[in-house]
Amino acid sequence: MKIVAVTACPTGIAHTYMAAEKLSTVGREFGHEVKVETQGAMGIESRLSAADIAAADVVVFAVDIAVEEEERFAGKKIVRVPIHAVLKDAKKLFTSL
Amino acid sequence: MNKEFFQVKQHLLTGVSYVIPFIASGGILIALAIAFAPMGDKGPIFDNTPILKLIIDIGGSAFKLLLPVLAGYISFSRAGKPGLVAGMVGGQIAATVNAGFLGALVAGLIAGWVVELIKKLPVPSMVRPLMPILIIPILSTVIVGTLMLKVVGLPIAALMVFLGEWLQSLGTSNAVMLGALLGVMIAFDMGGPINKAAFFFGSAMISQGNPYIMGAVAAAICVPPLGLGLATKISPKQWSEQDREAGSAALAMGMIGITEGAIPFAAADPLRVIPTICIGSALASSIAMIFGVGDHAPHGGPIVLPVVDNRIMYVVAILVGVAFTAIAINVVKRVTAPATETPEA
Repeated sequence: MKIVAVTACPTGIAHTYMAAEKLSTVGREFGHEVKVETQGAMGIESRLSAADIAAADVVVFAVDIAVEEEERFAGKKIVRVPIHAVLKDAKKLFTSL
Repeated sequence: MNKEFFQVKQHLLTGVSYVIPFIASGGILIALAIAFAPMGDKGPIFDNTPILKLIIDIGGSAFKLLLPVLAGYISFSRAGKPGLVAGMVGGQIAATVNAGFLGALVAGLIAGWVVELIKKLPVPSMVRPLMPILIIPILSTVIVGTLMLKVVGLPIAALMVFLGEWLQSLGTSNAVMLGALLGVMIAFDMGGPINKAAFFFGSAMISQGNPYIMGAVAAAICVPPLGLGLATKISPKQWSEQDREAGSAALAMGMIGITEGAIPFAAADPLRVIPTICIGSALASSIAMIFGVGDHAPHGGPIVLPVVDNRIMYVVAILVGVAFTAIAINVVKRVTAPATETPEA
């Protein structure tokens, strides 16, 4: 599956990036192609392109705060989870997709 | 119900994420200016130090934006761009009626909700273009402003005044209790929502002229990663290769005040690690509280030492917490060994 994800936590210096790494590595173990955009204290990094989003089968929001520019994902299948769900058990998330 | 709660939390945390840099900028500039200015009877004197006066004025300006930005982005999280104006105005009113950060939280939530409702009004298509540029900004600001000035602002202001007086009147025993509670909250979920609640309470109190709550929080913040990291160094045999690696990372993260460094340990062995770090952090924050350690920056760990009041006790508080955590976890691991397999690796 092609998956795009956004991670964001309130402070935006640790959880955001830890979750992004977890999603990439665990996603790869599951054989998915995962692209992650981080919305941390530095703003949007590794921005997902319109083509990335269009090609994705599913969008994962691992966020504790509002997603910036959420309108980009309109019409996609969105799975929204709190960020600790990824840190604690990313496998469970991918199994449920 | 649960979903509604999750969303409210998300709105509040979005506001917090935007406001943290303001607290950092304002808090540190003000603390720096005060630290270098000569002390008079009525506090620091800036008459003869134009540069320090400049710095404290800039810091003060950053602080003045704190409540509007907080409320504005809570509302923004719920209602998008049209929510910003009513939220910011509501936050500014919270500041003028002394309703403080609680008032700003409420203002932001109300503003977001009001704007969402106005957006749903059925309007003729002729009027539709006027909605975002005229009707929503004016109507929502009037509603939120009236509510804040005439209804919800006043009881919240009374509550904030009470809270402020209560905090200042705390005797030593109460201060220990409060400090311990903050420490437990900081360590319990290591950067999660409970940690952020304590952290944000501390940061908000800085702007209310009370840096002591943040002092206690700042000491507690670095104890879990530093204590666990130290534990892997003093008794490496008790820890796996992976733990030892995580230990070095945890030490580095602890130094710069990132509690999240403790997560790998807590995730692998929650039942033993979490209670230990809670006690360690509670020790550190209680000691900081008793000795009136103040922190003017919304951040913790050794890295904020330059803007801390009563630095020696700040260091002592951290050392005690770290030493307790490191020794206790190794003892606990030994006593309860062999380690039972954790249910999920």
